[in-house]
Amino acid sequence: MNTPKVSKVKTVGLAVLLAGVAMAASANDRDQAKRIYDRIAGVPPSEATLDAMTALVAADNPLGAALIAVEAPSFYNVTLKNMAVPWTNRDQTVFAPLNDYVATFIGMVRDNVDFSTALSADLTYTVSGVTPAASPTSNAHYEAAENNAINLYGALTPAQQSAVQGIPATATAGFITSRAASEAFFVDGTNRAMFRFTLMNHMCRDMEQVMDTSLPPDRIRQDVSRSPGGDSRIFLNNCIGCHSGMDPFAQAFAFYDYDNGSAEVPGSMRLVYSETAVHAKYFNNDTNFTPGFITPDAAWENRWRRGQNSLLGWSTALPGSGTGAKSMGAELANSDAFAQCQVEKVFKTICFRAPVDQDDRDEVRDMTTRFKSNGYRLKQVFAETAVYCMGEE
Amino acid sequence: MKPMHSKIIRWFSAATAVAILAGCSSGGAPTVVNPITVAPPVADYTGPASANADVQAFRINLWENIKGNNRCGSCHGAGGQTPMFARNDDVNAAYQAANTIVNLSQPDQSRMVEKVVSGHNCWLQAPSACGDTLTVWIRNWAGSTATGGTQIQLQAPAIREVGGSKSFPATSAAFGASSLYALVRNAGSANCVRCHSSSAATQQQPFFADADVDVAYAAIRSKINLDTPAASRLVVRLRDEFHNCWGNAGCGNNADEMEAAVTAFADAIPITNVDPSLLISKGLTLYDGTVAAGGNRYEAATIAKYEFKTGMGAIAYDTSGLEPALSLTLSGDVSWVGGWGINIKEGGKAQGTSASSKKLSDLIKSTGEFTIEAWVNNANVAQEDAFIVSYSAGAMSRNVTLAQRMYQYEGYTRSDQTSANGNPVLLTNDDDEDAQAALQHVVMTFSPVEGRRIYVNGMFTGDVDAQGGGSLAEWDDTYALVLGNETSTNRQWEGVMRLVAIHNRALTPAQILQNFEAGVGEKYFMLFNVSHLLPEVPQAYVMLEASQLDTYGLQLTKPTFISLATNTTITNVPIAGIRIGVNGLLAHSGQAYQPLSATVGGSSYVAGAGQQLSNVGTVVAIDKTVVDDVLFLSFERIGALSYTPPEPVVPPPAEPADLELESDVGLRTFDELNTTLSQLTGVPQTNVRVRDTYLLVKQALPSIEKFGSFGPAQQTALAQLAMQYCNVMVDDNTLRAAFFGSLDGSGSGTGVFGTSGSPNMANRDLLINALIDKAVGTGMDFQVTAAQIREELHTGFQDPVNLTPEYFTPGLINRLVSGPTGASPLGGRTVMKAACGAVLGSGVTLIQ
Repeated sequence: MNTPKVSKVKTVGLAVLLAGVAMAASANDRDQAKRIYDRIAGVPPSEATLDAMTALVAADNPLGAALIAVEAPSFYNVTLKNMAVPWTNRDQTVFAPLNDYVATFIGMVRDNVDFSTALSADLTYTVSGVTPAASPTSNAHYEAAENNAINLYGALTPAQQSAVQGIPATATAGFITSRAASEAFFVDGTNRAMFRFTLMNHMCRDMEQVMDTSLPPDRIRQDVSRSPGGDSRIFLNNCIGCHSGMDPFAQAFAFYDYDNGSAEVPGSMRLVYSETAVHAKYFNNDTNFTPGFITPDAAWENRWRRGQNSLLGWSTALPGSGTGAKSMGAELANSDAFAQCQVEKVFKTICFRAPVDQDDRDEVRDMTTRFKSNGYRLKQVFAETAVYCMGEE
Repeated sequence: MKPMHSKIIRWFSAATAVAILAGCSSGGAPTVVNPITVAPPVADYTGPASANADVQAFRINLWENIKGNNRCGSCHGAGGQTPMFARNDDVNAAYQAANTIVNLSQPDQSRMVEKVVSGHNCWLQAPSACGDTLTVWIRNWAGSTATGGTQIQLQAPAIREVGGSKSFPATSAAFGASSLYALVRNAGSANCVRCHSSSAATQQQPFFADADVDVAYAAIRSKINLDTPAASRLVVRLRDEFHNCWGNAGCGNNADEMEAAVTAFADAIPITNVDPSLLISKGLTLYDGTVAAGGNRYEAATIAKYEFKTGMGAIAYDTSGLEPALSLTLSGDVSWVGGWGINIKEGGKAQGTSASSKKLSDLIKSTGEFTIEAWVNNANVAQEDAFIVSYSAGAMSRNVTLAQRMYQYEGYTRSDQTSANGNPVLLTNDDDEDAQAALQHVVMTFSPVEGRRIYVNGMFTGDVDAQGGGSLAEWDDTYALVLGNETSTNRQWEGVMRLVAIHNRALTPAQILQNFEAGVGEKYFMLFNVSHLLPEVPQAYVMLEASQLDTYGLQLTKPTFISLATNTTITNVPIAGIRIGVNGLLAHSGQAYQPLSATVGGSSYVAGAGQQLSNVGTVVAIDKTVVDDVLFLSFERIGALSYTPPEPVVPPPAEPADLELESDVGLRTFDELNTTLSQLTGVPQTNVRVRDTYLLVKQALPSIEKFGSFGPAQQTALAQLAMQYCNVMVDDNTLRAAFFGSLDGSGSGTGVFGTSGSPNMANRDLLINALIDKAVGTGMDFQVTAAQIREELHTGFQDPVNLTPEYFTPGLINRLVSGPTGASPLGGRTVMKAACGAVLGSGVTLIQ
């Protein structure tokens, strides 16, 4: 065993050695086919699949090869699941259980459901053959599916969210009213979290990026101090920038709450919807600024159609105002920013990086255009992106 | 008359002498004369008895306090100046005289109060403090007749055209380079910097001569009148008030020099003209508005009160009217804020002497109950052990303390149920987040039955005092009242304090609500004349309720359309798109009434009260000072006129800069690795052994694909997981056969694979080829080659730099069969597992 010196070098492992090989090498047709499959499915292809895909790549039809990969079960069980899980919790961690929000996302991609309905549809997906059944009060159904490594590609079944969640069909708003999103973002607080996280996850923007201090503050609720710590400059230069837009949007959620109970009384652990009265959380700290806006109903308004945030590309086919989460979700999901955000998220998932240069940005723009004009089918975007990032010969 | 006249002269002479002495001193601000806190002795009253109960009320509440010869009695006594409301010979005659100069329904509007507030012989340094004290005495006399709820008579303000005006530049650059900054900073040519700087030995707010130009600029703006430099406070203070003039040239010349510097600064600022296209109202300053009488506070048991109206100096006056006054000395970083109040920052506090604080102990022990009431705006909700109001002697000894602990308020009270430090403390529920960084009315009451109760914004927090009530007999009357800190200066509270009152009764919930609803600060009705835009409506105004929210902003609420003409009927006047303008410019932020659209008239319009257009309020930034800012309104539509300002052009976003190129390969993440290994080995993810290992190492595996994020822990985790999958696969006959074909592996290491000198190549090829075919793949440039795998597992390899034999590493199989595995009866399968683990746990699996 005369290996100590060399083995020190070797302890770094094959990984690094092979990585060096990988990075230095150029890609042939088979490499490109493998990368397309790897990126989409998250696992290596079988020899047979790789042979078929290689043939398509060689025949100058890499998109055809990619469309084989998007039918791999692990694309749904692994890639899509891990892409969506961070959207469904406040910590944005990927180490969270499968839930109805994620299942619905996976199902919509699998079934080529028009993704512009993601924030408004009366749609959810359950997993067939899994007990316990999907419930408005528990996530056990989805956790059981995940623990038993159920093939979601085959087992996901569309259902009416209203029926599973036990809320009126008019109160459903796709991901927004999923149980997981409710648990994460309608719990406690003021329901502004639901708007912020939806904006982050599906418009690819946090509040700082949409601040506009010139918009009217007339819809800002009473709980926002107009003189934080005795300095109204903070309100006029900061707080107003986000709340002037966010509060009139988040009014759409006035009838929603997640019942997590209290330390003394356990809650029903479900989304609660009631049209009889604006939820009490909308009147938290109502003496912070008594002449602030008092929420009377769930009428929302998109104030960002004016000013700098008009660049988010709002749909001219929609009125820009309405009542309830469903129409508000549609307002967001029919914007240019929403479509572009979906493509950018796919780009990052498949290419392992954000668009970095003009070529990347042009590609994202072109894919966004095709995404919108071809019925918002996200599966196609995955395939196209995998081709773009399959490596050069 | 003559002796009295000479008294007045003497009185004024003394005051002037103090002022001149102070003005001539070159070592800093004038020494502040301690206020007289004890009424001087007056000869026992020998006149007629009070004729009725009202006279008696006058006698007890007002007359006894003012008849002293160092107060009103000095001049307005018997045989003195009329009205002789302070005469000591006949209380009934004094009552008759007093009735001519008091307003019992609105005590603060009394002639007597107005006269003193305007500077007429106040016995304290601050005329407003005398005014407030007199108001309390008159209100106490009036008792229930002082309602404050009388109908406000709206006064049409004088027409003020909205003309061009100057506004302060946004940054301090121009000020920093100005001769004005040079003047106030130069200790050789002016005295300002000796006190008005944070680095001065005798610090005195405002720090308009601070070394930090941003600090100085923020502070000096309120002291400058850009449109009329001569009216600037900087100039007036020298010219008319002889405040610390310098050199031998005299205050007049100093004022001229200061005015020249202010003028030079102002001349460099261009005039902002109003956009002539706008439909605008006439202009108005806050103080042009009609004063709105606030609701009455309940103050029957007030024993100390601070309204912080003085706005300057280092004393917060006790205006409770209860002698002796417990006035507080401001020290450290405490500054006055606009709209009445003090801003306490790190190191600041306001503290009274223990001698004058004694009245608190005496009066509270006599009733056994108390209330501490404060209008405060906490600077943040992160501060802990932040004492707002404390009557104590250091961090370990107190009678009572009201404090903030992040989102909670806490109350300490010393009683026979608690310790000498007031513990255990009463804390408001953490989940309720009662304490906010907003203006709040915070009250702590104590009664012998209920103990401590805390109310926020008029509402009981619901937190019950576990100690219950008790006796306050142990209170120590040598402690001192301190605001914003502990007497030992180590319990800092930061924030704005706008009113503090201490009562020697536990106020009832109704009384607390009454005081909350009475609010704090002064409110005005601002009437914006729009008659020129609406010829069909006589005396047409849009009215806003306005108050100074803090130093930097005005609060505006309840826009109301009203005609001051009587018997006006209004039909269908459209009003829409109201924007607020300040000094010729529409405010950038706070345009809450821009979306407003209303039609005035019909049954919605009530003659005399008008028609409210919106129920939301807003805040606009103060531009110059609250005194100087001229506000106006613009309309998108009013009556027959309409003008919609063009939407600002939104520039397209700049093309983002190119980012650094990143590796186009990445890592498989945790779930991908688990699935990949399961797929390659055929072992289901639900297998208990692999699932347990996966759950153990899951979060140590890569969570993102970024190549640069790879670390040794992740390699270790992958090796563990790969080894477990290989372990299960090799131990399972079916899976093993599916992967390795005819290679069974039964027997010792050398038995199955031979030795390094005599290898069993058939079995070795079965092992290596299976791994290459199943796990690595072939035909790719972008993958490790079969030869490299074979080298790793069988042939061995030479260090590329050191070519001697000791730098040669044998293949993995040879290393294993050379050791204990070679002879082990189960060594064959151990070699299979190890080779499998080495390949599956490598970059072959990891990298995509």
